[in-house]
Amino acid sequence: MNKRKVTLAAAAAGVITGVAGLSLAAMPAGAGQPPSLPDVSAESLVEQVLTSKPGAFGGTVEVDNKLGLPALAEIPQLADGKHSARIWTDGNGKFRAALPNGQSEQTIVNDGKITWSWNSANNEVTKAEHKADQPKPDEQKAQAVDPAAAAKQVVGMTKEFSDITVDGTARVANRAAYELVLTPKASEKTLIREVRIAVDAELKMPLRVAVLTNGASEPAGTVGFSEINVGAQDPKLFEFTPPAQAKVTTPEAKEQKDRDRGPELGLEQALQGKDPQIFGTGWDTVVGARIPAEAMTQVPAEAQGLVDKFTKKVSGAWGSGQIFNTKVATILIADDGRVVAGAVPEQVLFDTIGQVK
Amino acid sequence: MITRQFGSEVRWMLRRPRTLIGLFGLILVPILISFGIWTASDDGESGGGPPGLGAILQGNGMVVPIFTLFLSLNLLLPLVASIWAADGLAGEAQHGTLRGLLVAPVSRVRLLFVKLFGLAAMSLFAVTLMAVVGIIAGTAFLGTDGMMTLSGTTLSTAEGLARIGLFILLVTFQMVAIGAVALAVSSTTEHPLVVQAATMTTIIVFQVLGQFTSLDWLHPFLITTGFPGLIDVMRDPIPLGQIGDSTLLAGCYLLIGTGLAAIRLVTKDS
Repeated sequence: MNKRKVTLAAAAAGVITGVAGLSLAAMPAGAGQPPSLPDVSAESLVEQVLTSKPGAFGGTVEVDNKLGLPALAEIPQLADGKHSARIWTDGNGKFRAALPNGQSEQTIVNDGKITWSWNSANNEVTKAEHKADQPKPDEQKAQAVDPAAAAKQVVGMTKEFSDITVDGTARVANRAAYELVLTPKASEKTLIREVRIAVDAELKMPLRVAVLTNGASEPAGTVGFSEINVGAQDPKLFEFTPPAQAKVTTPEAKEQKDRDRGPELGLEQALQGKDPQIFGTGWDTVVGARIPAEAMTQVPAEAQGLVDKFTKKVSGAWGSGQIFNTKVATILIADDGRVVAGAVPEQVLFDTIGQVK
Repeated sequence: MITRQFGSEVRWMLRRPRTLIGLFGLILVPILISFGIWTASDDGESGGGPPGLGAILQGNGMVVPIFTLFLSLNLLLPLVASIWAADGLAGEAQHGTLRGLLVAPVSRVRLLFVKLFGLAAMSLFAVTLMAVVGIIAGTAFLGTDGMMTLSGTTLSTAEGLARIGLFILLVTFQMVAIGAVALAVSSTTEHPLVVQAATMTTIIVFQVLGQFTSLDWLHPFLITTGFPGLIDVMRDPIPLGQIGDSTLLAGCYLLIGTGLAAIRLVTKDS
């Protein structure tokens, strides 16, 4: 009888442990106690962020995105929802990024001479040999998910137009960090309320970037390390041999193919265009471009339907077109092919579009 | 003593015709997949395969076992696990043989562990069989130069086999966890079909629930949520996060299932 009770108790304990384990796994990981760090002035922290040179590291980046962007085939990590990516760098320009997309994966490897870009969904490798003074689009794609690079860019571009404070500390990827907060100055006409950057206390490397918009308490977007190991990485990670069965193409050939695929890509390319026009400075900078007229007329009904779904029609003294609102950015596409975009309310775009050449 | 019981349990399971038919059905899966991909490649245009792992199957036969198990984990392997769990207790009750086992001077907990061991051993056997047939069929139909991962790296044959071995263990563990819960159901009824129906309904309902983003608070509780993450075995280097999460999730199910079955068996009147 007694033995039976013991058995029952043990079995019940097993059930309870299992249920507790499930509940624990379901709970979001707590932030834990913020670490206590010596005070640091905002100016010196900004200076250190801009001058810090992150050494070799590897880590997992979590992207949590509530921006309201439609999924772009090129960078699934930027679509709404939670995504993860893994990045490794040797600190001297070589890097590897693994961008999982559902069951497939894109891998981008810069081995110092060549940038390889592999996509398992179509078994294709793009091989871009480095030439001086030429942008490497795939590399930009990889850096878009690197919190350290992204934060550096944001700080560099906006520090003169922001009130900068240090707002306590945080623990990111198990490392102690300062919370650097950039608030746009009152004169800036922007949708963004503040950008919070967690800066590693030891390495002065940004570990997490969160963008908060006006009227929302939760960040509209967060990019941050969930795990990072600092130090030399396996050199094999920075090598890439195309698999035997893969098609290997050059970026030029791929660009041509993409152009044939449809004008919605033309639009994407125009927005990340080769020479975008920049209006204004700081937070309310507006980027402008002009889509070639033939691309505008070639829009197939299907793509047009997609565009219509995400945009609303607007018109004004500047002409007429379609506007696309997200939490952190607004894009205005005029019917004649002019495009302006920025982290600004739509009125600013209406005022600016007349200047697009 | 206990090893002899384990042995006789597995022998009993293997002697049932439906077990043999089930195993035969399982080995057809990798053969059909290899053959399907092979005929698709004859059409000339590559890249016509299913998305995800299917896209890299072309000329990459070592991936067939992983692809097969990954697909089967959604429906086929839970079905097989539920059949074995159903036979284990409900089936014995139906035939009246469970009564004999319950009154025998053998601890009922030990009886449960024998059943659980039988389930685990047969799951491992079934999964390994599928993987081995997958390797043979994949290599024969699709050829192989090592194993190409989703990350675009090529592993040597030895590394590839290690990945397959790891995947076999992971998939087996998921199967055992499902089987443990099915055993708990099995201990409450005399009708094996009820166990299978209940298990399969649960798995299917879980997968449907997993499709609704509005229910994402519920997803971490569903064992099926952990299935897709196991594909990380095919990434290089292997990210352990999702694999660990899935295995922990299955571990919780294993504890709950075993615990409930033990409570039921111990309190059961012979």
